[in-house]
Amino acid sequence: MRFGFRRLILLSLIPLISFTGCEQPQVKFVFSQKTNELIPEAAKPVKEALVRQFGNPFELTQFEGLPTDFGDVQGTVKSVESSGKDQPLIRFQATGLENAYDKLLGLPLEWTSGKGQGHISRIKEYDFETGTIAVEKSPEIDPQSGDTFLVECVRLQFGRDLYNRHCMHCHGMSGEGTGPTSRYLNPPPRDFRLGIYKYTSTKPTSKAQEADLARTVKEGIAGTYMPSFKLLTDDEVSAIVNYVIWLSIRGETEKKLVDELFLDYSETALAERTSEDGGETREEVLEELKEYMELDFPDTLEFATSSVAEAWEEANLEDAIVTPQTPRVADTPESRERGRKLYLSQKTKCASCHGPQGRGNGTATQDFWTNPATNEKYSERGLHDIWGNLLPPRNLHRGIYRGGRRPIDTYRRLYSGIKGTPMPAFGGSLTDEELWDMVNYVMSLPYDGNR
Amino acid sequence: MGKGWCLFFLFWPVAAVVSCAMAPFVGWSFPYDNAQAASNLGIRIDDLFYIILIVTAIVFVGTQAVLVYALWRGANNREERATNVHGNHKLELIWSIIPGAILLFLAIYQMNIWADFRIKKYYPEAAVKDPLAEVTARQFEWRFRYPAIGKKLQQKPQPDDLYSVNELHVPFGKPVMIQLRSDDVQHSFFLPALRIKQDALPGLQIPVWFEANKPGTYDLVCAELCGWGHYKMKAHVIVQSEDEYQAYLKNLTQKQFYDGLGKIAAKETGTESEAVE
Repeated sequence: MRFGFRRLILLSLIPLISFTGCEQPQVKFVFSQKTNELIPEAAKPVKEALVRQFGNPFELTQFEGLPTDFGDVQGTVKSVESSGKDQPLIRFQATGLENAYDKLLGLPLEWTSGKGQGHISRIKEYDFETGTIAVEKSPEIDPQSGDTFLVECVRLQFGRDLYNRHCMHCHGMSGEGTGPTSRYLNPPPRDFRLGIYKYTSTKPTSKAQEADLARTVKEGIAGTYMPSFKLLTDDEVSAIVNYVIWLSIRGETEKKLVDELFLDYSETALAERTSEDGGETREEVLEELKEYMELDFPDTLEFATSSVAEAWEEANLEDAIVTPQTPRVADTPESRERGRKLYLSQKTKCASCHGPQGRGNGTATQDFWTNPATNEKYSERGLHDIWGNLLPPRNLHRGIYRGGRRPIDTYRRLYSGIKGTPMPAFGGSLTDEELWDMVNYVMSLPYDGNR
Repeated sequence: MGKGWCLFFLFWPVAAVVSCAMAPFVGWSFPYDNAQAASNLGIRIDDLFYIILIVTAIVFVGTQAVLVYALWRGANNREERATNVHGNHKLELIWSIIPGAILLFLAIYQMNIWADFRIKKYYPEAAVKDPLAEVTARQFEWRFRYPAIGKKLQQKPQPDDLYSVNELHVPFGKPVMIQLRSDDVQHSFFLPALRIKQDALPGLQIPVWFEANKPGTYDLVCAELCGWGHYKMKAHVIVQSEDEYQAYLKNLTQKQFYDGLGKIAAKETGTESEAVE
């Protein structure tokens, strides 16, 4: 044969080469860098607690009291299809699942009435169109029409699937902001694990409202790579937001746990403590850690999760929202001028970051700033956000409004600041009229010629 | 050459004709509403397509028939030896002139449609005078800028301009023009239902006009592989009556100048916290 083996091998390599080019993101929740810097004895219980409380991407779990919707669906058996003796499955038609997510497959189904009450079956088949479910046959389970059952985790799973399809390749599997595309993006995708979101309608110390996150998903963020997902239905958006909040809570819980341990039980702390100056032995430190784990860790975990959950719940209350007391001051040259004076004043110091003309080139951009987390100076000049990225102050002439271009959006940026960034909140220090004057001035900048 | 080859070459024209005939009934044809375009120009473009399809079908079926005939005769006649022919002037002329004439006919025939579609001089005057919106494509979404109600779209953004994303509202029954731009890379403004497709290029502003002839929600997609999120670059073009369109603009105005206290229609703000305020 002229067409020898060599060519055959080369040909068969082509599909192989094309497949190896595709990078598959890892399907697991990653732990933060700080967690990995703990000594293994301290990191292990933290990781175990997180897996216990939140599961993994395949099997999500949720503990009581979280403000996210885990997704219980109550169903009722409508009719049982007769199945032969040697059939391993019981098939039945169910009602009540009409609004449920179409992938109930594999989820646990708990019988809440009838003979099987209290027993759990796993869903082996599910037909969304006909509402037919199949579960494994067992002596305890004998569904009759009218029996009720509960399927859990529907909502969170729905959100996870949508998130993994639309958001994961930038924001990462655990919401850590390092998905496969992230390295090409500037500004980088948000790391959700601090639970901080920039563009909210809530007070300075509050978390984001669900509606704020939904608006970001629907409208996108102008001037960044966050696109608009307007074609998703409201239900899909709310499922994604639900999952994003759940990821945030997971990250925040992890951070709280690690922060408790980091000072004493990180690799560096251990090295210090067991050095000559520290004067402790490794065994002593481990003994102390063991004691902490037994006595205090459960409380720390309880406190961490409940405080995070509470904060998210409070953000959705009516009074968390920033509502002006007076309507927008008429957008007149006088109002803009008052706004300009405020902008340049020592009271607001806007010019020190945004520059005297609002071009984002204030003197503060030339300083070396201190990282509030580590108390060390950043290596680069300029402002940084809480995620450690260099953050140039916005050029106000460009007419790009990341948090929305409505007057109320600008008002809220001024009132609450931009969370996670050095943009301060003026809510307490300026009156409503002053804030509106500033809004009028800032919103006039893109159109004022070339001043 | 065996008779198997005759069948092989006979199969393709038959398959082509059958699949074309079946196409409208099994959803392989043009999108939307009985495969009819939702714009008048689109209907003319479809007609052009069908003419080209018929012409090429006749040529394809004809040449295949001759091929099959020649093969069949050759397969049945083992006695006659093949002879070497050094060209045939008459034949050469025939198969050059006929396709040439067909191409010339198509080239001339389509000129009007092309001119109406792409040459600005022939654009409907009303649409050119008063462009509907500026459409900016960017990775991976469509952003729209409308002039304020009663005003004309300006080259530069104005304080009272109206903005929206991934949802372009358009009145039907009158020609409209948009100014197409791109923020980053090359995109393509593709309205399959209206048979409109125009590349958007960074640094250029390209006018595109169309006239939707029936109300509905149509897809707007990017038809140029523009990056990793290309598949996400989907939007809706909502074609509605002039009254509904004006109501939409009014609503957009109210929404955009919302100061947290004024009342706004809840319709457009279902997901917003203000809807409950």
